[in-house]
Amino acid sequence: MTGVAEYVHRESPIHALHPITKLIWSLSVVTMSFMFTDLMGQALLFLSVLLVAGLGRVLRETLPAFKALFLMAGLFTVFRVFFIQEGQTLLTLLPGTGLGRITDVGLRSSIELSCRMVVMAASFPVLLATTAVKDLVVTLVEKLRVPYIYAFMFVTSLRFIPTFLREMDQIAMAQRSRGYTGEGRNPFRKVVALAPLAVPLLISSVRKAQRMAISMETRGFASGTRSQLHRTRFAGRDSSFLLIVGVMFVAVIFIKTKGI
Amino acid sequence: MNSLIKIEGLSFTYPGAQKAALSRVDLAIGQGEFVGITGPAGAGKSTLLLCINGIIPHFQEGEVVGSVRFQGVDTFETSCRDLARSIGSVFEDPEAQIVAMTVEEELAFGLENLNIPPAEMEERIAWALKMTGIESLRYRSTAQLSGGQKQRVAIAAAIALRPRVLLLDEPTSELDPVGTDEVFKVLRHLNRDLGITVVVVEQKLDVLMEHVNRLVIMDQGRVWADLPPRQVLAQPELLDEIGLCVPPVGRLAHRLRQAGLLGGELPLTVEEAFRGLAGLVGG
Repeated sequence: MTGVAEYVHRESPIHALHPITKLIWSLSVVTMSFMFTDLMGQALLFLSVLLVAGLGRVLRETLPAFKALFLMAGLFTVFRVFFIQEGQTLLTLLPGTGLGRITDVGLRSSIELSCRMVVMAASFPVLLATTAVKDLVVTLVEKLRVPYIYAFMFVTSLRFIPTFLREMDQIAMAQRSRGYTGEGRNPFRKVVALAPLAVPLLISSVRKAQRMAISMETRGFASGTRSQLHRTRFAGRDSSFLLIVGVMFVAVIFIKTKGI
Repeated sequence: MNSLIKIEGLSFTYPGAQKAALSRVDLAIGQGEFVGITGPAGAGKSTLLLCINGIIPHFQEGEVVGSVRFQGVDTFETSCRDLARSIGSVFEDPEAQIVAMTVEEELAFGLENLNIPPAEMEERIAWALKMTGIESLRYRSTAQLSGGQKQRVAIAAAIALRPRVLLLDEPTSELDPVGTDEVFKVLRHLNRDLGITVVVVEQKLDVLMEHVNRLVIMDQGRVWADLPPRQVLAQPELLDEIGLCVPPVGRLAHRLRQAGLLGGELPLTVEEAFRGLAGLVGG
């Protein structure tokens, strides 16, 4: 029951990289996809992301995320294509009315934009599947000087999502067994109908938060200097990986300026 | 005996409450004891534990009278950080006491808070996982564990801090019999083989009888009885009076003894009763 973009514990060269390295890679992919305008470039860039996912042995786990991205990009293309009126008409959905006109310029630019969207977002599922959230947080705390308590809050809120979803299910079942329907077309009524679910959930989460605070207190939370179990360290492989990313970057700039 | 925990004249009232949760409790617990605390709802069992681990008065406000001493030092004057080093706590709700996304991180949480160096942390995590029998869960996501596994993770996280005493507040209330058994086996091991003092609040009397060597029965904020389990069985009226039920095994044995049919020690477990009764019916 691995969700989209959940960390997958594996031994792989990509898992072994420093979170900062992977973050830089991810941002580089985003930047490069901005610089490319043609489909060929985007396709190459996407392949490189797949390669990293493959090296990280998380291709299977990230596949649902990629699928969702393509689906979204497809929908986006369909919506956008009708809003561009320049260029030659390729097809009109309602002949004779001029409504639903698809032009060559419109089609091409919509597809290009959608592809860019896919490539820009593609590196993030790979980043999240190969980097434990905890390590990302440690990096934020150590390298980017985010205060520990804020970073901790962030991780803990992620930790509680499945708990609250389960709780919500339970409350919904309990209310349904007593005749709660939660249906109705009127949007205002719909909001009101949520109250029987939201109020118990709020109360139980406040209670959980209090219990958790006590449990944290008995384990010395925020009582002084902390240590870290896993210190993330830059290694040779980080430099090599960043070098490859750098070379790709230079190549992209070279191609752009020469106009090949 | 030199007591590890010494509670004297302890009373506590929660803010806005009419009645005191604890009133004039005196209790001394020695090193290496395995103490079970039981009693009806609202007897003050949980509140008593919160007074020992310092949550009262450091975290939970209220009106406190009396004193709690741990190794001769007043816990009300000691910081939670210092208490965390020698008193481990495990709570009822397995869900609300797990803060991390993986088992390893959960065990590291307390150690990191107390600034333990990484190498020692590694050693302690491996040790705590081994002691609680959950080595195979180390890299698992905490969200995917069963209730019994979650409670063992919570116990492992508490003992990783190498406490002298482990306090548990109804650790099995959300568990099935299998999970309950898992938890108590771990506790017995920690108590017998490592000498960790265990104080456990528990409703399941049959389970307590089987494992603890001292039973503290509380009612309405007071200590109602404080006896070894067999002596509690010998006087079931002690429990009847405050509305607690003697486990079936104990009640049967008591009746048989009253009828002059059962000699020797009163059986605490089904196995002991079976042996006693087998002799009786000549099987």
